[in-house]
Amino acid sequence: MLTQVQDDMFTPDVIADPYAYYGRLRDEDPVHWNESYALWVVTRHDDLVWLTRHHELFSSAVFKNDPRPPYPDIDESDLGLYEYVRNYQGEQFIQHDRPEHLEMRRVMHSYFTPKSMEAWRPFVVNAVKELLDAAEAKGEMDVMRDLATPLPVLVIAQMMGVPPEERGHVRRLAEKLLYIGRGDYDRMKPLTEGMRGMIEYVSPLVDRRIVDPGDDFISVLARGEKQGVFTRHQVLVNTSLLLLAGHETTINLLCNGTLALLRHPDQWELLKQDPAGRAKAATEECLRYDSPVKSIQRIASEDVEMRGKVLRKDERVRWFISSANRDPDAFPEPETFDIARHPNQHVAFGSGTHHCLGATLARVEGQEVFKALAERFPGLRLTGGELAYQPSITFRSLKSLPVTWH
Amino acid sequence: MPRKLRVWVDHTACVGNAMCETIATKSFRLNENRQSEAIDPPGDGEAAILEAAENCPVSAIFVEDAETGERLFP
Repeated sequence: MLTQVQDDMFTPDVIADPYAYYGRLRDEDPVHWNESYALWVVTRHDDLVWLTRHHELFSSAVFKNDPRPPYPDIDESDLGLYEYVRNYQGEQFIQHDRPEHLEMRRVMHSYFTPKSMEAWRPFVVNAVKELLDAAEAKGEMDVMRDLATPLPVLVIAQMMGVPPEERGHVRRLAEKLLYIGRGDYDRMKPLTEGMRGMIEYVSPLVDRRIVDPGDDFISVLARGEKQGVFTRHQVLVNTSLLLLAGHETTINLLCNGTLALLRHPDQWELLKQDPAGRAKAATEECLRYDSPVKSIQRIASEDVEMRGKVLRKDERVRWFISSANRDPDAFPEPETFDIARHPNQHVAFGSGTHHCLGATLARVEGQEVFKALAERFPGLRLTGGELAYQPSITFRSLKSLPVTWH
Repeated sequence: MPRKLRVWVDHTACVGNAMCETIATKSFRLNENRQSEAIDPPGDGEAAILEAAENCPVSAIFVEDAETGERLFP
């Protein structure tokens, strides 16, 4: 039993290195009640797999089913804005349980199959090339600002059918939406501005797709509205979900992966010897070693027993990908970054019926970025400045990642 | 006569997304680990089975012509 554990998951040391803190919980108290935030912290790989595959026991309708205020704290005067966020987030398909979740996911699922996403690879390759051309011409690069942030927006804007001249607007909204995963005290204002801005921007696009559908993602959702699966508000919210869910997560994969590669010169050398051949397994190891998403929350749908503890109905349950992916019972030498690791059954995308819909797209973007960096910038290295992370419990997000190749 | 199919699921890849079970209800079921298992013989037509295989988010489903061994998916 754990006797001494501080329960504040937002202290600078836990934010800087979540692996020590959650690793200790995994070893000593794998289903841990965190008193300060009133939630269960689940940290073992096998428990995560079990939990995510028993969706009937753990509800994903967190915003709808959790009346408690947000954490970390926000200013009392922002609680009205939080209500807006709750109603907005609650309409996302990922915030539903079966049978609604299945019905909604089926509308979008075939858009994201491995085969359909493979068709996007040439677009991704070209977007990466253009971003790296620009960085090369400038002679320096912040991987975060110059590559990882714009790339997913370019891809998603294309999927939404956004014309090139409006991409800047979508990108600014996307940057406001990033506040969803942050712990800043004053995060509600920019977040709600991003959400309202997206609704306003997407509305006329949906109107057009209803009468004149194309092969873009908004047309897919518009079809869902015609079939009676989505309300109009849900179409709007789920369109921005594509931006919300596909942006921060991909940024983190690209930044955390690049950082891991540059901090392990032997592995960076291995990748450079055969970028095309090794990018796929390397991307999987980046996803495992420093996962883009640290943890996700559910609400217990009934009393559930796990490892001798009773999780009561309606209690918050948070499962930690970043500790599960370093679980020694699931991975030999889990602290070693090994780009040829096989098998690599990480849970970076979750598991079960809610397994990340955009997983294949994220993989394609990761593979193409790591391959291009290894091919074009063999001398790539960190500039040596101190690196800082966003104070988030959900995302493993660097604030910047400056690199050089001179 | 429709051709006979050999269908199997790679359990090192399957994440229990269960879309196959939804699309081809008589050809896939979840086991006690909540991973998909091919039902032998499959109870759906070839089109539904191939649709299930294509919609597997981690490409864990394999389909062959049982007689000739010809790979039909992936």
